[in-house]
Amino acid sequence: MEDALTLILAGISVGSVYALIAIGLNLTYWTTRTMNFGQGSVMMLGAMMTAVLVAGGVIDALAALASLVVIAAIMVFTEVFTVRPALKIGGSMGWAVSTLGVGIILQGVAAKYFGSQAVAFPDMVFSAQDYVEVFGVRFALQYLAILVLSVALVALLELLLRRTVWGRAMRAVSMDADLAAVAGIPVRPIVLGSYIASGLLAGIAGMLIAQTGGTVDPAFGFDLMIFGFVAAVLGGIGSSSGALLGGLVLGVIEKLVGGYVSTAAAHGIAFALLVVVLVARPQGLFGQREVVKV
Amino acid sequence: MLDVAGLSVAYGGLRALTEVSISVAEGQFVTVVGPNGAGKSTLFKTICGVVPAQAGSIDFDGASLLKRPAAMRAHLGIAHVPEGRQVFKTMTVHENLELGAYPAAGRRQWKHTLERIHTLFPILHERAQQLAGTLSGGEQQMLAIGRGLASAPRLLLLDEPSMGLAPAVADTIFERISQIHREDGLTILLVEQRVAEALELADRGYVLETGRVAMEGSYQTLMADDRVRRAYLGMGEA
Repeated sequence: MEDALTLILAGISVGSVYALIAIGLNLTYWTTRTMNFGQGSVMMLGAMMTAVLVAGGVIDALAALASLVVIAAIMVFTEVFTVRPALKIGGSMGWAVSTLGVGIILQGVAAKYFGSQAVAFPDMVFSAQDYVEVFGVRFALQYLAILVLSVALVALLELLLRRTVWGRAMRAVSMDADLAAVAGIPVRPIVLGSYIASGLLAGIAGMLIAQTGGTVDPAFGFDLMIFGFVAAVLGGIGSSSGALLGGLVLGVIEKLVGGYVSTAAAHGIAFALLVVVLVARPQGLFGQREVVKV
Repeated sequence: MLDVAGLSVAYGGLRALTEVSISVAEGQFVTVVGPNGAGKSTLFKTICGVVPAQAGSIDFDGASLLKRPAAMRAHLGIAHVPEGRQVFKTMTVHENLELGAYPAAGRRQWKHTLERIHTLFPILHERAQQLAGTLSGGEQQMLAIGRGLASAPRLLLLDEPSMGLAPAVADTIFERISQIHREDGLTILLVEQRVAEALELADRGYVLETGRVAMEGSYQTLMADDRVRRAYLGMGEA
């Protein structure tokens, strides 16, 4: 029982990070109906650059910030040179290939310059040994901190989307880009902004996951992106509450399966779950069927 | 104020407009009528920047619009109310109006214009917190017009505001449009299939057929023309 509780908490914590990744994917899906399939490399770079900078003597926070700035630049490049041209061809899925391509190149660059070995990720706030005891069960402080930070980020994003002019403008673009443009909303900067925000969420997610695992290597992000994608699809693509729930469910299942069966089985079960949900409810748990205007 | 000259537009290889010239002076109410597929909506989409022009010019206040992106044109004071009562369905009525006020002029005069919109369409005040998608067709059209007005525009483009509405509702909409023109002195360019009503409101009218201006003139001139009477009003000897 004690083990189960520990595993569930770890699952919720990791799941909240999957939710972060899923919401990052949602952001660009809203504005352009595209997703950055190179997102895994963005997560890896966020964690990798931070680890390398900290190892080089830079203060933690500054290292994280610098990594996020680089990520923002990469996302601008991705949107301008790989997504926008692909979208000019109506009905093309070229963006899926081109964004994946950028991701693979980034992974190659990281392997060349940082080496393909795992790099130790520094303990940022709490060390892996810190814990609190609640009702006799030990909860790792790292997991708690990650949970709090991810949930706070999701809440902040929702608040921005609901309450600010930019958020409202972004929702308008996601509903009808032409109508938004005619209403005077600068569609291009908003699309670019959604890509940057998506990358920043991914970068932060990468750092958080690397924190729990303790290491990061160039291939680190790919699985994570798959989990984020599964969380997004589980919850219903485009739905924030769906992404949150999808992420949590996925995280808990992953940890329970990993704890009681085998960590090797976690992936298989995650995908089996995805298949079952998609058969029963193609629009995802919270998703709405896309109505396509003819 | 608005000068369209020799405008040609093509959609995927198909000619939609051929050398169309239209002008609207400040304070005028101008109507464009014509059958389905004549290019009326294309004309509006080109003016507001959603569809690119192939040849010709569009000037607003003497400066060319063609190089300006769609969003910029809204900031210059052109409000476009597209056909099909387009509203942001999963936002509330109030949020829709707020978005309409996105251009600087709209934000500056927000309090005043919101009051005016509520006076013109009291239902929008009553339903302020309701999702736009749950409104009736007529109410959505009122909201679409309200959103246009919220930008505090200098030129209002209305694309078939009566489309798909019950005659009584369409009458109310026409009445309000006329009121906006008379009381606020707003310059209006209207596209309509309800030819008689539309021409009656207008200072000048254009008849668009298969992408060309077939005829233009004042209400009296157009109404006196046999072709217009026969083709659009079902009057005169066949």
